[in-house]
Formats: sequence, structure tokens, C-alpha cells
Amino acid sequence: MADADLLALLLADARLPVAGHTQSGTLEGAVMAGLGATDVPSYLQARLVGVTRVEAGTAVAARRAVLDDEPLAPVETAWAARTVTPAVRTASRTQARALRRLCGRLWPDVVRPLDPLSSPGRAVVLGAVAAGLGLGAEALARVVAYDDVQTVCAASLKLLPLDPTVVTGWVVDALPGVEEVVAATAGVKSPSEIPAVAAPQIEVWAQAHARTTRRLFRA
Amino acid sequence: MPEHHYPHDHVHRPLRLGVCGPVGTGKSSLIALLCRELSTRLSLAVVTNDIYTDEDARFLRSAGVLAEDRIRAVETGACPHTAIRDDISANLMEVEALEHDYPDLDVVLLESGGDNLTATFSPALVDAQVFVLDVAGGGDVARKGGPGIERADLLVVNKTDLAPYVGVDVARMRADAVAAREGRPVVALSRHDRESIDALLDWVLSVRSAHGHGDLVPVDPGPMAPHFHAGEHAHHH
Repeated sequence: MADADLLALLLADARLPVAGHTQSGTLEGAVMAGLGATDVPSYLQARLVGVTRVEAGTAVAARRAVLDDEPLAPVETAWAARTVTPAVRTASRTQARALRRLCGRLWPDVVRPLDPLSSPGRAVVLGAVAAGLGLGAEALARVVAYDDVQTVCAASLKLLPLDPTVVTGWVVDALPGVEEVVAATAGVKSPSEIPAVAAPQIEVWAQAHARTTRRLFRA
Repeated sequence: MPEHHYPHDHVHRPLRLGVCGPVGTGKSSLIALLCRELSTRLSLAVVTNDIYTDEDARFLRSAGVLAEDRIRAVETGACPHTAIRDDISANLMEVEALEHDYPDLDVVLLESGGDNLTATFSPALVDAQVFVLDVAGGGDVARKGGPGIERADLLVVNKTDLAPYVGVDVARMRADAVAAREGRPVVALSRHDRESIDALLDWVLSVRSAHGHGDLVPVDPGPMAPHFHAGEHAHHH
């Protein structure tokens, strides 16, 4: 297996063919509700203290479960219980299918622990893949949080076009928040330790977005 | 095994037929026409790639040409080109889901989001593709060329019934297209012209037959023209 640092870069790369360009991290729903370009940095922060911790904690718990030969179903259940909105769960499961499909082709053994699950969320798949590829818990949490920041920022260039240098500046400014997510979640050992923090307004935006008939992004 | 691995090989799965071309040229209507004409003979399903709405999927559902669940939409994050060419995963997953849900499928039709003249399907997503132009877009478009116009498996010059109203000479536009395509097929189509519809259906059925016999090799129309090295055959990069 290749070096774990390189594999973490691969998983965090927007060029990974997992339809990442269809996702906005609910930014489109937020913009529909009136969020403007100047609000995006605080939107990033809100996700980093909320939904992103659920995702990172879930991924870390899934990695742990695979390494300890424990079942993944309780991790999946814990994630779903913390992810209130059906629209967000559905979007995550769709992304998970793409990731599972890709990794299943590249590393069939790595996705085998997922076999008992019919449609797990993305964080569970990412965690299982990280276990098989030798990524550490911190590297995994970092991939999850960094990907979330980049997903929102890339979508913002479509939805609220600005000088991309400014938007990359938002990514850089969010990096300390990414490290806080790593610190808060890398030590998660069991499903019950996954942070249970929601951002109700983001959930409401996500659900409303899923019901619109005019949108650029899947979620 | 992962849930989305299906054991059939290339020939045994349904034909995947792409329909692409600029906005407003009649891709959705062409698919509705194919469904109306072929759904009594073949088991069909459709994946639409809408740029901004689920309008195309809703149009097809409301046309009543197929059961609603056989028509599914993919959002493309404002990247219709990417979704049919560089990262086809969202489309491939819908196609595979349809093939899984309807094991009797004969043909899956994929409608691209209306994009520009350079957008064509990856051969990893479709087995064959139709590029659609219309006479109202201007009589000179076929002559301008581009990968889809020149090298899609079929070029449809649509809405020929509108030609008198937009001052386009259909025979001339068709001749330009034939010249640009170096003999590849062209259908000048009007839904009011039965003969043209039959020509389209004949083409689709012949492609399906070639696919079923394992004779169909998906070809990339390419973002670029094929080029030659001395002493070699044409190839794409």
C-alpha cells in the first residue's frame, strides 16, 4: 500500500471521481435563504463546530471499529441519529455510494467491512477506507474537515462569484478550525463518543433545498 | 461484493445511448419521441442531467411516455460538461441503479445538460451518442463543426419544419453536416415528418443490434480533432 500521507491527499483531492462537483455543503440552500458572500467565512465556522464534527467523529469511529473487528452498523446508526435531516442523510449516502464504488474497484479488500451495510453514510465509508489504507485517526479527521471547507468554498465560486484568491483566503483562515475538529474527534473510540452537535438552521436550509425545483447542486 | 457490482458484461447489459447538444435544440423532445415510438417494443429508462432545474425530468414524466420511476435526474453542480465526461460517477450510479431496478432494460437513454458545442459523452458512460442541432440555431452551425457535430455516432438536425420561418436551407445545412462528418450518419428530423422519424428509429435499432452482438465499440468524439502521425492510423488523445 502507498504511503498513508499520499493516500490522504488522494482522498481529499477534488479531482477524485466521486461527483464532488455536485455538492455545495448546503451552501446553495443557505444562499437561497439570503446568505451573502460576506457570510461564507462564518458559515464555514458554523459547520466546523457543528455538522463537520459529527462527520469527522463518525469517520474516526468507523475506522476504529474496522481496526478492532467490530461491526460498523452501530457507527452508522449513531451517525444517522445525529444527522437530523433526511436530505442531508440522503446526500451523504449518495456520495458514499460513489466513494464505495471507486474504492471497491481500486482496493476490493478495503471496502469488505462495509458489506453488511446497504447504504451507509459517507463518513462511515471514509472511515472504513481509512482503516484499510492505513490512515491515522488525525489524518482522517483532517481529510473530512478540510474537504467540507473546500466543498463550500468551491461551490461559493459558482454561487457567489468572487476573486478566487479571496475564497482561498477563506480556506486558509478556516484551517485552525479544521485542526480544532481534529483535536475534538481524533480520540473518538466508540459510536457513543461521536459528537452530537447539530446546526438546526443548516438542516432546515438543506431540507428546503431538496424540495426546490431549481438548483445547481444536489445538496 | 460491493452492492453496485453487477456480474453482467458489456454485451449483456442494456445499450447506453447518450443525447447531447446545445440548449434548446430539442434533446428532451427527441428522447420523448424515442420513448413514445419504442416503449412498446423495448424496455427503456432515462437519466437526465439538468443544469438548473429538474425541468427535463419533469417534462418527460409529464409526457407520460414512461413510468415515472424510469426517469431519473442528476444534478451537475453547474458542471454539465464534467458530469458526462471527466467525472461520470453521478451518472454511472443512476444508470447502474436503473439497470439493477429494471433487469429487463434494453436501452438507457442519457440526456446531457444543454451545454456548448464541445460537450460530448465519455465512452466510459455511453456506448453511442447522438448530437442534436436545430435549424433555428442557424444554418451555419453544422459547417462550423466541433467534436459532437463531426464525430458523434449520429448527428440530428432537428426541427426541420421550422426552416421556412428562420430562413434556413435544410438541404444545404444537411449537406454541410454530411461533409463535416466524412460520411457518418445525419438525420434531418421533424416530428411531423414520419420518414425522418423512421430513419432515426432505424439508426437506434441498428446500434442496439450491434451492441447486442458485441460489435459496437464506444468511440470518443473527443474534445479535439483526431490527428495523424506518419504511417499510423488516426487516434485520439
